[in-house]
Amino acid sequence: MAHARPEIVRMQFMEIILFEARSLTSQTKSSIMYGEDLDQVPLLDNEEPLDFGEEDLPKGRLKHPVVTTFHLLFRTAALVVYEFCGIFSSSFIGPFIFIVVLLSLDFWTVKNITGRLMVGLRWWNYIDDEGQSHWVFEAKKGGLQGRVTKMEVRIFWVALVAFPVLWSIILLIAVVFSRFQWAIIVVIALTLTGSNLYGYVRCKLGKSDSISQSFKNMAAGLVQRQMVSNVTSMFTRAPPTATPSSTV
Amino acid sequence: MRDLRAVGTKFYHVLYPKEKKALLKEWDLWGPLILCTFIAMMVQGTQEVDKQDGGPEFAQVFVIVWLGAAVVTMNTKLLGGTISFFQSVCVLGYCLLPSCLSLILCRLILIAHQNRILFLLRFIVTCIGFAWATFAAMVFLGDSQPSSRKSLAVYPIFLFYFIISWLIISHSNV
Repeated sequence: MAHARPEIVRMQFMEIILFEARSLTSQTKSSIMYGEDLDQVPLLDNEEPLDFGEEDLPKGRLKHPVVTTFHLLFRTAALVVYEFCGIFSSSFIGPFIFIVVLLSLDFWTVKNITGRLMVGLRWWNYIDDEGQSHWVFEAKKGGLQGRVTKMEVRIFWVALVAFPVLWSIILLIAVVFSRFQWAIIVVIALTLTGSNLYGYVRCKLGKSDSISQSFKNMAAGLVQRQMVSNVTSMFTRAPPTATPSSTV
Repeated sequence: MRDLRAVGTKFYHVLYPKEKKALLKEWDLWGPLILCTFIAMMVQGTQEVDKQDGGPEFAQVFVIVWLGAAVVTMNTKLLGGTISFFQSVCVLGYCLLPSCLSLILCRLILIAHQNRILFLLRFIVTCIGFAWATFAAMVFLGDSQPSSRKSLAVYPIFLFYFIISWLIISHSNV
């Protein structure tokens, strides 16, 4: 008999805890809400065992191949077009519009579709009736079984982090070589990819007060783990055997 | 799709600024991006064979629109406005629509051989677009300003649309 695989059509999201934070620049109160289930989920979670329901999926196989393709497609296309449009034509406006369109498509896709399906995170903003703005960052409760594959999670995060880094390097190059028109494209690219990165990292970090705080926690966790592994290796190392002195 | 319909609704509400909720509650920046790109494409400079075509004016429009909207928003917030950053940028961007329409009309007028009367017509069209844009922006943003500072908040918006309209009226090459 097959596993009792809960085919939940709609994703179950946890209750949201209201977290009122004062906005930095004005007296308006903006609030930031987090999905409750995240208790410091580490950013790199490559130590979880294969989840229940995933055993029948061969390792490395993607659950949503189309979504994954699109996650990567628009970002890569924008970068490629930016780099190679100079070979094909000397115009600026055509490639500009094309790249901006690709970047917008990528932003929309990553924010609305791939994050939700590949890693179960989503983030948005809404204005309530009093005119207060609320930012909501949600993560899917424990239902990672059967819905998310490790390979997809890895691809998602690698693509999410790599592209802002690449674009910032390209920005440096553009500024150094005084190609300021093209730098505008790079700034737009950086804004769009960077904001997706920021949103998803906030989702992942969950209930922490601030990003710097959660990075400190993460660093402390890594240091702790390192210390523990050092101590255990000290105890498990074989005692040094005395080498017999040379025979007389 | 949902997002496209949202953008279309907001365009409608900018043209007939009676109801404020649509733009303010569900802000999005797709409309401003479309309008900005459209205006930038239309006010390009002359195309020369061996130089990059129309570059400066195109990029200028982008920089003016987005940096200008950001600066006006910061001014509003520093004066004690109760609106969020993205809402304000959304409103300012969407209210470019009347200027955009006046740009289309000017472009049509430019097809004919130019003389003084046609220039006057373009000028009037641009002024109407400018006034409409400023009025619409004030309708949406008006409530969020403290009442004693309203004119302080209107001036940057006025200046913002003035510059955009200046770009539009000064574009005269076909």
